[in-house]
Amino acid sequence: MNTYAVWAHPQLAAQVLHIRRDGRSEIAVRVAGLHSAQQVFRLEQIIRGLPGVQRVAIDAPAKRVRVVWDRQHTSLPGLLDAFANTGCAAQPLRRGSIDDVRSRESHDALKRLLVAGMFAMQVMTYAFVIYIGAVDFVDFTTRGLFRWLSLLSSLPVVLYSATTFYTGALGELRRHQLGINLSVSLAVLSVFVASTVNTLRGSGEIYFDSVSMFVFLLLAARYVEQRARHRSGALGDAVIDAAPLLAERRHADGSLETVAAIELVAGDRVHIAEGSTVPADGVLENAMAEVDEALLSGESRPVQRYRGERLIAGSLLLTGPAELRVEHSGVVTVSARLNALSTRTRHARVASTPASEREIGRFVGRVLLLTTLTALGWLLVDPSRAFEAAVAVLVVACPCSFALTRPATLTRALGILAERGVLVTDSSALTTLGRVDYALFDKTGTLSVPQLGGAAIEPLCGNDRNVVLQLAAALAHESSHPLARALASAARQYGLPRRAQAVQVNTGAGISGAIDGRLLWLGHADFALAPSGHVISPDLSSALLLADQHGPIAAFHLDEQPRNDAQSTLDGLRDDGIALVIASGDSKSRVAAFAARLGVDDAHGRQSPADKLQRLRAARQRGLVTLAVGDGSNDAPILAGADVSAALGSGTELAQAHADLLLLDGRLDGLVQARSIARQVTQVVAQSRRWSLIYNLCAVPFAAFGLVPPWLAAIGMSLSSLLVVLNALRVGRVGPAASPVLRA
Amino acid sequence: MNILLALIPLTMLGVLVAVAMFFWAVNHQQFDDLDNPGIMPLLEDSAYGEPAAEVARSNDPTGRDPG
Repeated sequence: MNTYAVWAHPQLAAQVLHIRRDGRSEIAVRVAGLHSAQQVFRLEQIIRGLPGVQRVAIDAPAKRVRVVWDRQHTSLPGLLDAFANTGCAAQPLRRGSIDDVRSRESHDALKRLLVAGMFAMQVMTYAFVIYIGAVDFVDFTTRGLFRWLSLLSSLPVVLYSATTFYTGALGELRRHQLGINLSVSLAVLSVFVASTVNTLRGSGEIYFDSVSMFVFLLLAARYVEQRARHRSGALGDAVIDAAPLLAERRHADGSLETVAAIELVAGDRVHIAEGSTVPADGVLENAMAEVDEALLSGESRPVQRYRGERLIAGSLLLTGPAELRVEHSGVVTVSARLNALSTRTRHARVASTPASEREIGRFVGRVLLLTTLTALGWLLVDPSRAFEAAVAVLVVACPCSFALTRPATLTRALGILAERGVLVTDSSALTTLGRVDYALFDKTGTLSVPQLGGAAIEPLCGNDRNVVLQLAAALAHESSHPLARALASAARQYGLPRRAQAVQVNTGAGISGAIDGRLLWLGHADFALAPSGHVISPDLSSALLLADQHGPIAAFHLDEQPRNDAQSTLDGLRDDGIALVIASGDSKSRVAAFAARLGVDDAHGRQSPADKLQRLRAARQRGLVTLAVGDGSNDAPILAGADVSAALGSGTELAQAHADLLLLDGRLDGLVQARSIARQVTQVVAQSRRWSLIYNLCAVPFAAFGLVPPWLAAIGMSLSSLLVVLNALRVGRVGPAASPVLRA
Repeated sequence: MNILLALIPLTMLGVLVAVAMFFWAVNHQQFDDLDNPGIMPLLEDSAYGEPAAEVARSNDPTGRDPG
């Protein structure tokens, strides 16, 4: 198990270990193969049994394990070996992944909920005695005592459990917003203060029971929502951890090895293909590269970097390839930045949009206005009932359920989709996806997987088959295009490719470079033959050509197989009323043949990225809602230009950076799933909103006319919140897609 | 009614003890995983004794790990 020996390197260890104050080390790892409760237990027992291990926490849905242990007794490689020996191979995660936020949040919520519940029950018993006392055998002083006891028992509820609302309200005020926390805080505090005043005075109504129950029920609804949110978060984490940022490390002999970016150390040489992420801070070693540092500067525009200049981890390489000498590893800032990159999708989990916040703000504003009007109205008619009626309106009309509807439903949908191999990076895209009626697909790499069969290599002008393959592979190795990748992987079995110099990748056309001083071009016929001016027979025009200054050297006939689920996905989308279009840079005849095979009528060949974008714009102008699906760097413009975009997880990072949805494991059918979930979200949100509006419209008049006592208002409002949260959990339960969940 | 003077502090004490116990339980991760421990008594003891068989099973290609 020498694969883990690298982790003995102090720089690497520093990236993943968190040294605790007591001198022990803490690490978070992603483990593969935790499928059953049995395995979880066995793993826990074995790790716990290692010398020096203090704590093991297994988060099964997230496939994460956290271990606190003493490194004097068990080394880091030893610990990882122990994981591997149980059959659950562990991949250490960056130090930043050790976050307690989720468990801290849920512990906190649970404590608040229980304190509120316990003391609300106490207050309720006292209230019961007071109600009876008003009728019968409890004398006046005892009644006074019970009022004081109620005050005392509701203190922990108001001063501990409900503080989460106060801090939320303060945050909302600081952001100049009206939110639900504000109206909840107002209701709780005003009722509590008024009841306290009445207790001190010894006369007047007290509402300690209502206020405690209100807080308890509201916390219960929030707790349910939080659990669902954490579960989706855990599923998303599991998916993200499964695809760590990779780097291609160059060995002294020129060969490349794929390693996790986290394992790079200073002095390593790294090869970066166009469209990939720069995996570590370093110095550029080839002539020029164009990068997009949007992740760092927030501004997306190409920046040119020349030999000897620094490339910063996390930026995207636009034109490549680039050779990098790693300068840093384990530097906190870099790992934090890379963490930000891989957790890009996590932003979406907050699942609230400025638009919905404004909506809630307006709603709260109206509720506050209505409360004031009710109070004023009653002050004119019967001042003694003004307070009670105003409080009832404030509580009954609190738009908690309205505010919870969208986040709760979207959170649930994102979690379900993550489980089914679709990562949503922009939650608002999910709403738009439900309305899509035009889909533009890239062909190569998206709908099809190119492969190079042995018979498909055609040496021209008497060249040797293996030699031409080696030359072509040396060029192909430098690019991330799917055709180039297929070529490079086919050549791998014939030994090491040679090293190409001065390589340039022309997006959508081909690759040029020099091998042992010989200038070579690999790509479409037009591109490869431009320098020599040769003309070639039409039957080779669709092949990939390798040529030098004098003429063609070889032709490669790449065979394209549709992805396994391409047919079913396209059928599913077509049945759903979406117009399908295939646009590809490939030759017209090949595109037409491929489209016919999949039953798509609208197919276009020889399309440059600009042509595709033009096509998309035209569709948008006709009022269609567009979806773009692609995988390569040349698809980035259309992905950015469509209403909703999806990229394959196997595609380049440049494409992924512009996509709203990521389809993992090369599964196109995620699109159909996402579409049906998006529809459900729209339905459930509309239903929940209708419900909360109807509830508010019905309840408010009764409350305003003083017919609803505050305790009933509290129950009604909390139940309606709970109903909305439970309704959100219906997403993903129904429909044909339910079977994988049942199996899980 | 004088019994109230003894019973009320007693219930208060009961609530405080219950809350303290609950806080202890939450802080010791007793509520973090509510699904898996329930299955523990149903597991066969042999599962702990034969790591080799278990390793083989977890590498089973028919597992639900996608592609």
